[in-house]
Amino acid sequence: MKTTRFQQRDLVWGILVLLLAVLPLIPGVIGNSFRAHVLIMVLLYASMAQSWNIVSGYAGQTSFGHSVFFGIGAYGAGMAVVTYGLTPWPGFLVGALLAAVVAVLISWPCFRLSGHYFAIATFAIVEIFNRLFMVWDWVGGALGLDYPILTDGWKNFVWSQTKVGFYYGALALFILIFGIVRWIETHRLGYYLRAVREGQETAESLGVNSTAVKLAAMAFSAFLAALCGGFFVQYNYRVDPPMVMSLEMSMKFVLITILGGLGNFWGPLLGAMILIPLQEYTRAYLTVLGSGVDLIIFGLIIVLMMIKQPGGIMGIVTDFGARRRRAGARPDTGV
Amino acid sequence: MALLEVDNLTMTFGSLVANRDVSFDVEAGTIVGLIGPNGAGKTTVFNCLAGMCKPTAGRIVFDGRDITRLPAWKISRLGIARTFQVVRPLKEMTVLENILVGAYLRQADSAKAMEIALRCLKTCFLEDDRDRPAGDLTIGNKKRLEVARALATGPKLLLLDEAVAGLTSTEVREMVALIRGLRDGGITILMVEHIMEAIMPIADKIVVLDGGIKIAEDRPAAVVENEAVIKAYFGEKFSQRLKAMQQAGAS
Repeated sequence: MKTTRFQQRDLVWGILVLLLAVLPLIPGVIGNSFRAHVLIMVLLYASMAQSWNIVSGYAGQTSFGHSVFFGIGAYGAGMAVVTYGLTPWPGFLVGALLAAVVAVLISWPCFRLSGHYFAIATFAIVEIFNRLFMVWDWVGGALGLDYPILTDGWKNFVWSQTKVGFYYGALALFILIFGIVRWIETHRLGYYLRAVREGQETAESLGVNSTAVKLAAMAFSAFLAALCGGFFVQYNYRVDPPMVMSLEMSMKFVLITILGGLGNFWGPLLGAMILIPLQEYTRAYLTVLGSGVDLIIFGLIIVLMMIKQPGGIMGIVTDFGARRRRAGARPDTGV
Repeated sequence: MALLEVDNLTMTFGSLVANRDVSFDVEAGTIVGLIGPNGAGKTTVFNCLAGMCKPTAGRIVFDGRDITRLPAWKISRLGIARTFQVVRPLKEMTVLENILVGAYLRQADSAKAMEIALRCLKTCFLEDDRDRPAGDLTIGNKKRLEVARALATGPKLLLLDEAVAGLTSTEVREMVALIRGLRDGGITILMVEHIMEAIMPIADKIVVLDGGIKIAEDRPAAVVENEAVIKAYFGEKFSQRLKAMQQAGAS
């Protein structure tokens, strides 16, 4: 029964990837339009939220610092292109590795303590890195890095003529990150992450080295968040500290996942499918009300969600499924 | 050489002495019971053995290796598994997933770990609840889950902390049969227990603690007649009256 459920979920995943892959072939769906931009953002933010989900959802260690790792990834690619005149690819890798190292260094002392130290420490690093990058000339300081004109294509990872290239870039990122999380979820590490979340002492009594498990989760998570940052800088052709290393950006990682469903494979995608169109369309059409309207609506949705269904959208889906199963099972019991 | 040797174990919390100079051995393939009135320091001994407390003094040798003050996860890897007196299910994971976490200790491959988990699920009669969240189980099944999960780690020594307490009499009988079965399967067992009906028939040896000190160590039949034990359980007055009654009966 368990195995068939796994197969079912893999089937859903396969169909989804296939649909997303053929989407640009349908005329009018993407084209060179705002709609393409929204789709790319949904894929990007879903990937970001999923990377956060590893350490904060599955392993239960809430991080408010993911914009730092995202930013390090963005600067990795940005510096490879702008400062060193290379393709962004070595920058993606170096940025992601650096982000993982920074993540481990920050969390190591915190994970050995219990309580909220980790969340607080991650909160602090956002400000630290933001200020540091603002005054650090080597990385461009407050002005940031602006891209030169580059030839379109996978080599430079830029597409100026049409958004289809970026769409497939985002899709590749999405498949990579969701694929990795899918793998983790069904293997030992995934069970260990959840065990640490549900009861650290219990997990240790079963031979789980909880510190090592949390550090591994954090390293994976930061590495993947940095890759998302690399994509973000390519897409925007520029980066400066407030664009990436800010509490607002950190909160996006958090809110999307919480809305969709914490520690759930589909949560980040569902959250992004709701919050990102909301963000992009309010920005485009409600600018008369001033900026930040999307954040007000974000906030309201999250507050309502926390009161009504802390499990997020996936919580609602699961509840609904369970209720239907119970209702369906009643005639069978023959009472 | 015994599988487990506890040598002058002392554990203090500030000025409170939970255990003082406790020494005993557990021979491989036996069931040893650890009993004593409330607050005698039984669970503290367990916590020291399992690495959740660092003993203030003394030595614990397991399988020829000094394990004093090792972290819990290392001790578990060496082959000591424990259950908790106050059950600790990983609530949002299913019963099978709970057991899988234990099974992954010896087997990184998911399919093989699943085989181990399914075997432990069956051994502990949890098959009907395999896909239920562990938090939803009845207390009896939560106790069984504690055992199943510990068992899945493939231990040489199993520490059972009141695995029977709180169960119905049928469940107690099942659990006792289960424990005996595990011993026959080659797992050495050290159990803390309050329910004498559960421990006396199956234990090879009983260690009695009172006020953090070992007051007796003997076969079950001898321990129940031990004066110090009776005094610890029933108090000085009752103990004297009992002795008087016995003398009267003898004459």
